[in-house]
Amino acid sequence: MQISPALLIPLAVLGAAAGLLAWRGKIPFGYNVRNLVVRWKTTLLTVLAFVAVNALLVVMMAFVNGMYQLTDSSGNPANVVVLSEGATDESFSNLQFTDAGELESHSKIARDNGRPMCSREAYLVVNQPIPETRPGRPPRRFLQLRGVDDPVLSAGIHDLQLYDGGRWFSQAGVQQLPGSGEGSSERSPAIEVVLGEGIARELGRDRNAQALQTARNRERLDVGDAFVLGGRQWLVVGLMQSSGSTFDSEVWAKRAIIGPMFGKETYTSLVLRAPGPAAARELKDYLNLEYKQAAVQALLEEEYFANLSQTNKQFLVSVIFVVFWLAVGGACGLMNTMFAAISQRKRDIGVLRLLGFARWQILASLLIESLVMGLAGGVLGCGLGALCNGVKASSIVSSGQGGPGKFVVLVMTVSGDTVLLGILLSAAMGLLGGLLPAIVAVCRRPLEALR
Amino acid sequence: MKFFRLMLKNIRRNLIGSIVIVLGTMVLVPVVIFVWSILAFLDAATAEKSKDFKGIVTERWRLPSQMPFAYAASLSEGAASKPGDIKPEDSMTWQFYGGTLDPEKRTRENSMFAIATEPRKLRTMMDELDTLPPEEAARLDEAIQKMEQNRQGIIMGQDRLAAVNKRVGERIKLYGINYRDIDLELEIVGTFPESRYDNTAAIHRDYLLAALDAYERQTGQPHPLADKTLNLVWLRVPDSEAFAKVAGQILASPNYTSPAVKFETAASGIASFLDAYRDLIWGMRWLLAPALLFTLALVISNAISISVRERQKELAVLKVLGFRPWQIMALVLGEASLVGVLAGLCSAGATFATVNFVFGGFKFPIAFFGAFYIPADAIVWGVGVGLLTALLGSVMPAWNAGRIRVSEVFAKVA
Repeated sequence: MQISPALLIPLAVLGAAAGLLAWRGKIPFGYNVRNLVVRWKTTLLTVLAFVAVNALLVVMMAFVNGMYQLTDSSGNPANVVVLSEGATDESFSNLQFTDAGELESHSKIARDNGRPMCSREAYLVVNQPIPETRPGRPPRRFLQLRGVDDPVLSAGIHDLQLYDGGRWFSQAGVQQLPGSGEGSSERSPAIEVVLGEGIARELGRDRNAQALQTARNRERLDVGDAFVLGGRQWLVVGLMQSSGSTFDSEVWAKRAIIGPMFGKETYTSLVLRAPGPAAARELKDYLNLEYKQAAVQALLEEEYFANLSQTNKQFLVSVIFVVFWLAVGGACGLMNTMFAAISQRKRDIGVLRLLGFARWQILASLLIESLVMGLAGGVLGCGLGALCNGVKASSIVSSGQGGPGKFVVLVMTVSGDTVLLGILLSAAMGLLGGLLPAIVAVCRRPLEALR
Repeated sequence: MKFFRLMLKNIRRNLIGSIVIVLGTMVLVPVVIFVWSILAFLDAATAEKSKDFKGIVTERWRLPSQMPFAYAASLSEGAASKPGDIKPEDSMTWQFYGGTLDPEKRTRENSMFAIATEPRKLRTMMDELDTLPPEEAARLDEAIQKMEQNRQGIIMGQDRLAAVNKRVGERIKLYGINYRDIDLELEIVGTFPESRYDNTAAIHRDYLLAALDAYERQTGQPHPLADKTLNLVWLRVPDSEAFAKVAGQILASPNYTSPAVKFETAASGIASFLDAYRDLIWGMRWLLAPALLFTLALVISNAISISVRERQKELAVLKVLGFRPWQIMALVLGEASLVGVLAGLCSAGATFATVNFVFGGFKFPIAFFGAFYIPADAIVWGVGVGLLTALLGSVMPAWNAGRIRVSEVFAKVA
């Protein structure tokens, strides 16, 4: 679990202050702990409020982390994505076949057994009517298809591998299903496809109870399963190990088949592999500044996916907004608890003062009491929220500049930073909530308090 | 009345507890209202209407939909060709044009997407623009009239206008993003009222079509997108029967085969788009909103519990004076409810006014909705949340208050 050094600083300061107080401060810790135990109902309610706030923080941040992980980990630093000039999204890009031929002959492109490492792709978003719509769900979904010419080459460039038992689609890209063909109502051969894990799970949910009983895999579509799109059968021949990338929600098939089928006669993008990251930057600059044969724009693949993080940023702002107000609400609750605890312990505080405890020591003791409540709630809340780690959820990532963006299945990720942030937020809420009551308590004169 | 007065006095005497309830409610109710406003809007947008509904004709398979403009005229008539066929009550075509003010350095700020359409349809077919208050309607009508007279006019959303740092009356040149080499010189003739169209712009479709024709004249060949320029056609039909009939006419027509088209209700189209956000929406509906209410109920419960404990003597005296346990329970519940309701009302009212009138809605990136507004219903939600959480939070403390034993309380005092 990675933790940012910037977050460790306040934690270290907090720990150092607590250590110093324990060593030299002569703080009546036992007294504070006993107070929390004696007022266990109030303590419990306050802690529960902190648990709710922190659990929410962790779940929401895990969602945003999942989105960032998708956009951050989908690119290879040595890859360059080429789109037509002006295209804000792959869906709007049009690259002619001749452009592709010229581009891939460039000397800066890496070679694999003499072949240029260029993935020719046509990315399409199509409407898929859902055969048996579940209640509350729309009658159709958007399915992301990626047509490629050479799947092995394209997978190599995108660093994708298949699960055991699968294969890439054949040169023909189609296959006759058993019982279809001549003499059958289903004459067209099935289109061979390779699915991302996320979309395989999504499509697997379309099956009815009867189909599920005989299914190879009840969780998702598997090799050998088929689905219907555009009036054709689509046969799954492989599943990609694509979890955590945008390819997880894609259906890959032969471009020469799906392009004409859905009216996309051109490529949308070319992904070029350079020998290394530095060469990729050079290639990008060359294509943007010097290449004149076709109007194209080139981006490092990492930049391309980073541009898709606009939605992530907007979600992050929303999370910060919600958490801020929740934290204020939680701090109000704690302040009330501490005011009540202090008003019931006026005499105790007076006695402590008479026993020689200084004002700052009592202030520190009361702050530690509220801090303990905050931290207990924070740790429990983070623990509860961390249960969402690894849960898959659907969303969209986009550049915010038009275009539908990409429909993705993300893996909710509870990072070390998120947990630490939750704990620090709890500590801050605890300290802020306890500060005012503690100041009020120590401002009283001892004899006045005893009266 | 005396009982009510006693409640008020108790609220005043237990000032810290009351302030905490008010603060907690004031702080958390707006967040609940934000969440519910988004959910209510999305629910309304995806709910099928029984009459006067709009349908969208788009390309059957692909997204984004790109149809030839030749489809526009007959689709606007609902593909009615035979006697007895039904024509839609109204229609509107949409062509998306993306442009930037600075082709050398394109940014989010200097770029915009405009809907190229028939100007007069902006007022009759666009949601919310067809039900504007008279003053705003008059301003928009004036801008539309200018655009009818000057096809180089552009009406812009207020946020977009501010982002490009221009004013009404100024001229701009947009360099085509999706329509490469189709650059448009436009005059800003007005703005949309503050609404969900704050980031939208509308231009005259004739100007875009003329620019495409000019491209063909200059280069000797049609623009690559010339036969893919129609993105959507909106049709308004009176009821579901008419919708089904028009849908049948369109789907049966041989004119729309390459590409094929589909006709669906606006609600269905939006629902398909929102499906990608279903987990997020589920989380907002079933995790975030309940957790907010739970936190608020806990804060209130804590405050009331403390208040009841601190007032044990007073409650015991009330019992000695003849108050029944249920009356004491009602007193505690009433105090909490009163504070909760008032705080909820004030908070919801302030949220409604501030978000809608000061900030012009709040931004949340779901689908193509630019900004969300707080509905007037939120005032009722605020009161409801205040009351509900106060009641939930005070049930146990009130129960305990009603069960206070006078002898035990006075024994402690003695």
